[in-house]
Order: sequence, then C-alpha cells, then structure tokens
Amino acid sequence: MEQPGSDTHLHNRSHAIFGDMSFFSKQMRIALRNCGTIDPDSIDDYLQARGYEALAKVLTEMTPPAVIDEIKKSGLRGRGGAGFPTGFKWELTAREQNEEKFIICNADEGDPGAFMDRSAIEGDPHTVIEGMLIAGYAVGAQQGIVYIRAEYPLAVQRLERAIVAARAEGFLGENILGSSFSFDIEIRLGAGAFVCGEETALMHSIEGFRGMPRPRPPFPSVQGLFGKPTVINNVETWANIPVIILDGAEWFGSIGTEKSKGTKVFALAGMINNTGLVEVPMGTTLRDMIYDIGGGIPNGKKFKAIQTGGPSGGCLSEQYLDTKIDYDSLAQAGSIMGSGGMIVIDEDSCMVNIAKFFLEFTQNESCGKCTPCREGTKRMLEILVRITEGKGEQGDIEKLERLGTTIKKASLCGLGQSAPNPVLSTIKNFRVEYEEHIHQKKCRSNFCDYLLTYTVTDKCVGCTLCRRVCPSAAVTGTPKLRHEIDQMKCIKCGLCFKSCKFSAITKTSH
Amino acid sequence: MTAKNIAIYINDKPYQVQPGQTIMQAADLLGFHIPRLCYHPKLSLEGACRVCIVEVEGMRNYVASCAFPVTEGMKIHTNTEEIRRARRDIVELILDNHPQDCHICERDSNCELQRLAHTMGMKKHHFSGDRKRYEKDVSSVSVVRDPEKCILCGRCVRMCSEIQKVHNLGYAHRGFKTVVIPAYDMPFKDSVCTACGQCINVCPTAAFVEKNYTQELFQVLGDSSKIKVAHFAPSVRAAIGEAFGMEPKNLEKELVAALRKLGFDYVFDTQFGADLTIMEEAHELLARISGKGKLPMITSCSSAWMKSLEQFHPDLIENVSSCKSPMSMMSAIVKTYFADKLQRNPADIVSVGIMCCTAKKYEASRPEIVPSTDIVVTTREIAWMIKSAGISFPNIPGESFDQIMGLSSGAGAIFGATGGVMEAALRTAYEMYTGETLENIEFTEIRGLKGIKEAQVVMNGKEIRVAVVHGLGNTAELLDRVRKDNKYHFIEVMGCPGGCVGGGGQPYAGLNAIPLDEDALRKRAEVLYSIDRVKTIRRSHENPHVQRLYKEFLGKPNSEKAHHLLHTHYHAKEPRGIIPDHPIVK
Amino acid sequence: MATPHEIVTQKRAAALQRLAARGYDAPSKVFIGMATCEIAAGSKEVMEVFQEALKGGLKNVYVSQKGCFGRCNLEPTVDVIKKGKKPVTYGKVTVDRAKEIIEKHIIGGKAIAEYIIK
Repeated sequence: MEQPGSDTHLHNRSHAIFGDMSFFSKQMRIALRNCGTIDPDSIDDYLQARGYEALAKVLTEMTPPAVIDEIKKSGLRGRGGAGFPTGFKWELTAREQNEEKFIICNADEGDPGAFMDRSAIEGDPHTVIEGMLIAGYAVGAQQGIVYIRAEYPLAVQRLERAIVAARAEGFLGENILGSSFSFDIEIRLGAGAFVCGEETALMHSIEGFRGMPRPRPPFPSVQGLFGKPTVINNVETWANIPVIILDGAEWFGSIGTEKSKGTKVFALAGMINNTGLVEVPMGTTLRDMIYDIGGGIPNGKKFKAIQTGGPSGGCLSEQYLDTKIDYDSLAQAGSIMGSGGMIVIDEDSCMVNIAKFFLEFTQNESCGKCTPCREGTKRMLEILVRITEGKGEQGDIEKLERLGTTIKKASLCGLGQSAPNPVLSTIKNFRVEYEEHIHQKKCRSNFCDYLLTYTVTDKCVGCTLCRRVCPSAAVTGTPKLRHEIDQMKCIKCGLCFKSCKFSAITKTSH
Repeated sequence: MTAKNIAIYINDKPYQVQPGQTIMQAADLLGFHIPRLCYHPKLSLEGACRVCIVEVEGMRNYVASCAFPVTEGMKIHTNTEEIRRARRDIVELILDNHPQDCHICERDSNCELQRLAHTMGMKKHHFSGDRKRYEKDVSSVSVVRDPEKCILCGRCVRMCSEIQKVHNLGYAHRGFKTVVIPAYDMPFKDSVCTACGQCINVCPTAAFVEKNYTQELFQVLGDSSKIKVAHFAPSVRAAIGEAFGMEPKNLEKELVAALRKLGFDYVFDTQFGADLTIMEEAHELLARISGKGKLPMITSCSSAWMKSLEQFHPDLIENVSSCKSPMSMMSAIVKTYFADKLQRNPADIVSVGIMCCTAKKYEASRPEIVPSTDIVVTTREIAWMIKSAGISFPNIPGESFDQIMGLSSGAGAIFGATGGVMEAALRTAYEMYTGETLENIEFTEIRGLKGIKEAQVVMNGKEIRVAVVHGLGNTAELLDRVRKDNKYHFIEVMGCPGGCVGGGGQPYAGLNAIPLDEDALRKRAEVLYSIDRVKTIRRSHENPHVQRLYKEFLGKPNSEKAHHLLHTHYHAKEPRGIIPDHPIVK
Repeated sequence: MATPHEIVTQKRAAALQRLAARGYDAPSKVFIGMATCEIAAGSKEVMEVFQEALKGGLKNVYVSQKGCFGRCNLEPTVDVIKKGKKPVTYGKVTVDRAKEIIEKHIIGGKAIAEYIIK
C-alpha cells in the first residue's frame, strides 16, 4: 500500500498513475490532485491521501496571520476568473472586527460547457471543505456556506456525505481536533441563474432575495453575507489551499509565471480531439493546450479560434496561439482567464454566429437590473441577428463597438462588464468575417442559413424528392430530369439539401 | 464632529470635501448636479440605471457616482465628451424600450425620463429595435401598473419593501423581459398591495399611476338630475398648488371656488368629518381606558393601514378603532342628514371625495362601508380636471365652504400631518376626561418626520402613553414592539410617509425635486399647522356644527345611530404573497 | 493533550486500517469512474458488472469508484492497478468490455492493449 506522507509528492500522483501520454504529460494536478484517483465518498481515501493534514498543520503550528502570510506568499489568485490575490482578500476580512464572519465557496458554475467545479466536487469534496476550514481559521469565521447549483445533484450529494463524514470525524463542528477553533459548513442550492456566480448576487441569493448584484464598494470582505465580513472564493481556489499549506508557498510559487502562480483547470471543449478536464501550470501556451494536450483539431480541419473565459471571454485567432495562459497575457491578448472554459473553434464555425451565441446567453441571463446590460446586450444581439440574416448595414460594426464599449465600462457587475467581450474580440480578430456578412452577404463558413444559396448540380437524377419537400415551391422540374431552385422563392430552409439522396444539391455562400 | 477634509478634483478643479460621502453627495454640495434616475436618498443604493456614471482617473470602468465614495486625491470627470456620450447612450437604451407615446401619456411634461432625454441632448435613435410587451394591470381600483412604461429603476420595489415593508413588488424574469410584478404575478386587486400609492409617488414615469376617475366625474358633473357634493381632505388644499408650479400653500378658498366652477352643487370640508371622527374616536378611547375594550387603541382613518391591518396584523383587529375615516363619515352624513335637510332621495346625491390618497379609492369600494363615497379622485386628478376645464386656478376669487358641513376646527386641519390625529384626539379626550381646559394644546413632540414618536399626557393623575407612527414599515416595527411589550394606550397610524401630506395622490415632484423630499413634506405639514394656529376653534368638540349634528341627528357620540353610520369593522384576510419577518408566517 | 497533528495522524492510521479491512491491499484494484459525466456515458452498468463479478466469487480484487479524471471523450473509464505493475486505464468501457477486462486482465493478468487509452 502506498504510504501516506511518502516522498511521492501529491502533484505527481496522477502522473504516476496515468503515465506520460501527451494528454497528461503537460498537465500538473494540484487542485484536481485526487480527482480520479480516490473514492470521493470515502473520507478514508481522503485521509490516506494526506487529507486534513493541512488543517492539522495550521491548527498545530500556525497562527492565523501566518496562514494568511503563507497564502499571500504563494501568489495564489482567485480561480473564479477575476484573479484577485487570495491571501490579500483573506487579510481584508481578517482585519475586520466582527464576531460573525462567513466563508463562502462559490460553486455556481454557469458558463456554457464548463464543468470544472462539478468535477472537482464530485471527485474530491473533502479538499474544498479543508480549504474552507483553513480560511475560517485564518480570518476568524465560524460558518461556511457552499453555494452550488441545483443542476449538480451528484456533486451536492457527495458534498453532503463529505460534510457528514467530516463532522463525524470531528473536522467540522465545535473545537475542531481539540483546538479552540469551531467551524461548520452548510450547503445552499442555486436555482439556475447564471448571474448568481457574481459574488454579490450570490450572497443576495443566500440571503433569500432575488439574485441581483449590488454596487461595490463595500466589498464582501468588509460587508458581505448578511452584512458581515465574508471571504468568497471559487471551488478551484479552495482546492489549492491544502496543498499550499502542506507543500509550502515557495514550492507553489515556483510553478507558473511571474504574476500567475500555480496551475489552472480548464474544461477543454469544442472542435478538439481530446475534450476533457485538464490542469496545466500557468504559462502553458494555447498551442500546447490545443495540439499537445488537446490532440489537435479533428477531421483534418483548420484551427480558427479559441474562446476562453466562457460567455465573458473573448475569441483569439491563430496569431495568439503562442500566448501564455495566465491572467495578464490573456487579458493583454483581448480575452480573459475566466473560470476555465476553453472552446476550440474550427474553420466550419462562423465567428459572427459564435458571438451571437454567447451574447444570446448573456442577454437571457442578464439579471435585468442595470440598463447597459439589460437593454444594451439586447440591441447588440439584434444587430448580430440582422447581420447573420443578411440584413447587416453599413455602420453596424461601429454601432456594436460603441455599444459594446459603453456596456463594458458602465455596467454594474462583471456579467455586464464582460458580456460584450465575445463580440468585441471577434470584431477585433475576425473583422473581415463581419464585413463579408454585411457587404457581400457572405458567410465563409457556410453556416449562416440566410446567406446561403442552394443549387442543383448535374448529379440530379430527377427523383422529385426535393420538389416534394420544398415548403415554398421553389423547386421545379419534371421527373427524371434535372430540377432547379428558384432563388427568389427559396427561403433557405435547407430541406432539399438534407433530403437529397444523391448529394446533388450544394449550398454555397456566394 | 467633522472629519478632516480631503482634496478631490472635479473636472480638474480642486475642492475640499468631507470624507465618507459618495461622489454624488459631494458633487451636489459643490453645485454639480450629476444626472440620476434610480437614486433616491431615502431608499437603498440600487446602482441600476447607470445614468449617474462619471469618469474617475485610474479606474478601468465608469463609476456610479451614487454609490462610490470619494477618496483623497480622486480625480473625477462629470462632463467629458466620452462620459456624456455614454450617459446619452444609456438614456437612449432606456428610451428605446419605452413606448414612444409621450403626448398621450399621463405624465407628459412631468416625466423624469422625458426630462432626462432632454437634458442628455438626445437627437436620434441609434439602436431602436424590439420593445417589451406586457399587459396593463387595471384590476385595482387604486393603482394601475403599466409594465411597458417601466424602466426598471426599482424605486417602487424599494419603496414597497424598504419604507412600506409591504413587499408586494418584486422583479420577475431575466434580461430584456425583466418586469416588476406583484408576488406570484397576481392581479393587483388580489395582491397584498395596500393601495398606499407610494409606488406612484416615486415612479419616474407612468409605470404606476392612480386609477383615473376623472372621466366618470366629468360625466356625473354634467348630469343635472344629480346633486353633486364634493368634500376635500386637509392635505389637498396644502399641496394642490404644487401641481400648478407653486410652493405648498393653503389654497382652500380657491379650491372651493374652482370646484363650484367645475359644477359641484355643494362643497364641504372633510375637516368637518375629521372633527366628527375625533368625537367618536375620543369617546371610544375613553371607553377603552375605562376598561371597555382592548388597549392600545389604534387609529383607523388611514385606508392603506386598514388593508395592511387585515392582511398583515389581523391579531390586532380588536385594537383598532371602529371609526370610519373622515371621508367615509362625510359621505355617510351627506347621504342621511344632509339628504334629509334637502329632502332628497340619497340615491340622487353623488358624494365625491377629493383626497391626497389612492387608498381612499379602495376604502370607498369596501363592502363594509355603507353608505359610501361614490367617486374618489386624488389631488393630481382634480388638478388636471381644473386645468382641463380651463379654470384659471389659483388666480380666481376665493369662496367659502357650504355650510352645515363646512365649518371645522384647527384640530380637523392638522389631521393631514403625521401626529395630527393624535393631537386632535388628545385635545378632545383630555377635556372630556378631565372636564378641564387643556392649556397647551400643541403637542410638538408628536409632530415632525421621526418614524416613531411618543408622548405622555397626564389626565386626572393617570398617565396616558401614546405613540405616533407614519409609513407602513415603521408601523410594522412599532406593532412588533407592542406585541412583545405594550406600554401604550393609544397609537396613531398613518400609512404614508409624513402622513396624508405625503399621500399617494399628491402632486408629482417638480423639476429636479425629489419625490417625497422631507423638506416638501414639512412644508405641506406646516401649511396645516398654520391653518390650525389662526383658527379660533381649535378643538373638535367645540365645532358648533358638529355639536348641532349630534343634537339634531346623531344624539351622542357612540350612540346607536352614530355606531350605525360612523363605524365599521374589519376582517382578517389571508395574506397572499410573500411576507418576510411576519409573525404569522414564522 | 494530543495536538491536532497527532489527532489527524491517529485518524489516518485508523482510516488505513478501515481501508485494509475493506480489501484495499488486494493484489488487484479497480477504480470505476463515477462522476456525472461517466455515469451518463454508462459507468453505472460497468460498475454493476464488477459488483456482480464480486458476488459471483471474484476474489482478491478491490473495486471502488473514482471521480472524473478528465477524459470526457473516452468515458466511461476504468483503472486497473495490479501490484507491481504499471497502472492501466481503459476507456469507452462497455458492459462487454468490462466482462472482458475481468476475464483477461484481472483474472488472466494480461492487459487488453486496444482498450487502453494511452
């Protein structure tokens, strides 16, 4: 049996198990160290993997300020996306003189296609509990709350079991491990609003109100949940804490880049061979991510863009492939780190449509409170819909830029402030596609239905099927002779194209 | 103690300001009026409209000046090309999702959005597109909700929950479809709305307006087969001038004249009804103090409070005075005593209440109240009718009330301000109880805008402890205290902030004025107190016409006839909607 | 009084004993991916195959669940760790493949190369 506390560093464990295939060799697992290697429902498994040793360490030999110092020294920044230095955040709360303080774990993962938090909690719930415990000790809080979306029933169940097990073993409750420190955790379920991932909206939701953000300052560290000082961090941040305490800030600080330390978990998705959950050291390039870890683009297609940061992020084109994955480099390139969504887009995707997709999402999820986000994103969306339907006009791009900038700079919360990013970044990196849509009524990816022309080729045997399925009587022809499509009558529904058994119909964009 | 000043720069000019205030507060004091919409000094900071954004050097984004504190050395720009354009874009975005029908809108020329669009220098719609579509809710007799006109500033939501603590209004749906609705999207008439109309007062547009009865009233006024009787509340005379661009001022005589010009046959004073209320209420109080009935006794003349009581405080129904409000007493007397005098069928008489209140429309519709007021219009509605009929109000010769129900005491006048009912009642109760003359009849400790006010009066060696509360939120707070530990004999409740002077039917705030501004409320109240000061009769029981009414018709206060005509009763209503912190729910 | 560190050390020792009692020291260990995504891909059925096998007399095998380890497109995954051998991860494990893994690898001692995701 593998001995606990052996020389094998935790971060090498997955390596040892999974070997050195390219998917794993460039990865480094700190937050996900136990995911996929232990039984998440067994506290014994966690204990065996040095579980709760970090908690014991802080309770035995570290003062609360020393814990905060250690986290500060490690250079850990918030993994929820904004990248605020975690230790500094804790310090602000620790400084507050208040009997009641709260620790919150933000597990309201809402980005489309992102599942980092779900996997982390499902795979290793105890590490989140341990991270929160350490913060509770460091800032002087007695109550922790995990805010998790109700759409994650298994994660909730595992976390519930973990909390019960931790209580039974005396890791949660009064006088933890014989010390004077008391702390407990409860779970609150989110009701499926994306905006509740925003910290002030999340706290409103816990308080029983509609999840709507409020202006900051005051910041949660000073006036958070129920008006009390509150540390709120995301799942991945919490998962990093026990390792930093155990293996030291110095070791953690040796990983990553100058200003972004440690690793980052990403949900790699889209047009990529190895879709999956990966954890890489900060500073890994997008190219390594896509071609080494991700195994490249399937079906020999060409890479077109990579979208990072979910609906708040941006699309980067090929010229940015050597950008390092860290908070500052990604921001400089015009995207964001975000919470870890990473979507690879190949040549078959239309960038205007991608921008439209994300904006549709943010518009639907806008809480409706502030004007720029509520109204502005709707107007931007209307313009994008128009462009993809071939009704784009001269000046539309400029309008999008103007609105986008106003929304970015004037919105109340992070949702609105980042909502225009997918549009602004695609305009910046793929402006020519917008121009083609607007001026030439052309979609180079043959994606935007309204811009396509359906034509019958010589392959047509005159089976009449297309003529029969056409809802607008645009197809004419006699049986056994080549049919024709009247472009004036065609409504671009694509039914003829889909129904043709002889691949005799082509769709082209001018 | 004042803290040391800090240096800030606004538009490159250095200023010394007090720390701890927001950019907007500092700018206001320095004479920069930053445009604003969702901000209200009495409500929590929403930061929603983003109209008050400014540029702060070193900040990546614009800053909402309503919420952001000033800091040492801060460099603020309120008027750069860039910020002006951003602000204009934001107002344009609001406007693009708003019906473009100003000329047929109730708030035309008195709309904050309209004014804002003008100030922003909007010349063109750049982004127009879809507009949200929602049905108008006209189910309530008091309040009409038009979600299409709503610009989601949230002032009504905050007013309803923070000041009134009714919690009837909230947001539903997300994104572009976001809408303010009563809980569970109930029709307004079935919601827990107390009809106080404060949402109307704070609404910058016409998303909330009163149910308008002016057309019905014009129709009645043109009907020669009817006898048209008007009576108006104390606060109407104090505030109606504001609808004509004036400061609060007593326009009683001008209003009487205008109403006659509009076609009313008789114009009476609701203050007479107030005096009558005091007669009944003071007697009821003395009866309760001597052991007949529950204490504390709570006043009943505020209609919004009446609904609030039945929904949220049904456990206190027995504590509430059974007296009808002055308006309903007036109508009861008009249709009996006055009808007898005229020798006319009461059905031929139309009793019209002109009130500072939207909830009075609800009160008139209560089945418990018969005979009732036929039409209730607000100060705003009557002001519009006067304008619409081409009457040169207020520059017309004043006229006096019709007699029989036109004479009132100073006690009746102060009914419109918070503390006024209590003060009036104490003036009468004291003298009834002790048989002595009350020397100092001005109870200054229960005047003013403090949320909960207290006083003690010694009557025949017995200390009578009273409390006065205004606003339904303060009321809930006081009643919770009473439930835990009651030390009072008598409590006055007025549902609206400041009492009836701040009623939901009062004129809209003028240009750059803040709805329900405390100064404005104080000025209105002061008009009423000055009416009281110059009256020779300042006690309700000394009103000779009230005395005559009892002698000729009612007998004694609380007589069987008085009880039949001037008193009512209440029923617990199951509150529908979400009521946080409610003892019954808990 | 024991320090928190000592308490945790004791707790770990107890945990290890409990694990041992559950058969953690067995020569063969099998971990089946049981995250939401894996279950959606069919890992519950795979788990049942192993449970059935245990009931049917399969000895000296420790069967447990694990969280998601990130290979979405190859789920469900099953790790087989044999003492002294390099751990093996199988991808796209179906009920049939699971039976095959038991037979050939766990009992037979020979990893099935074509299912290994490396």
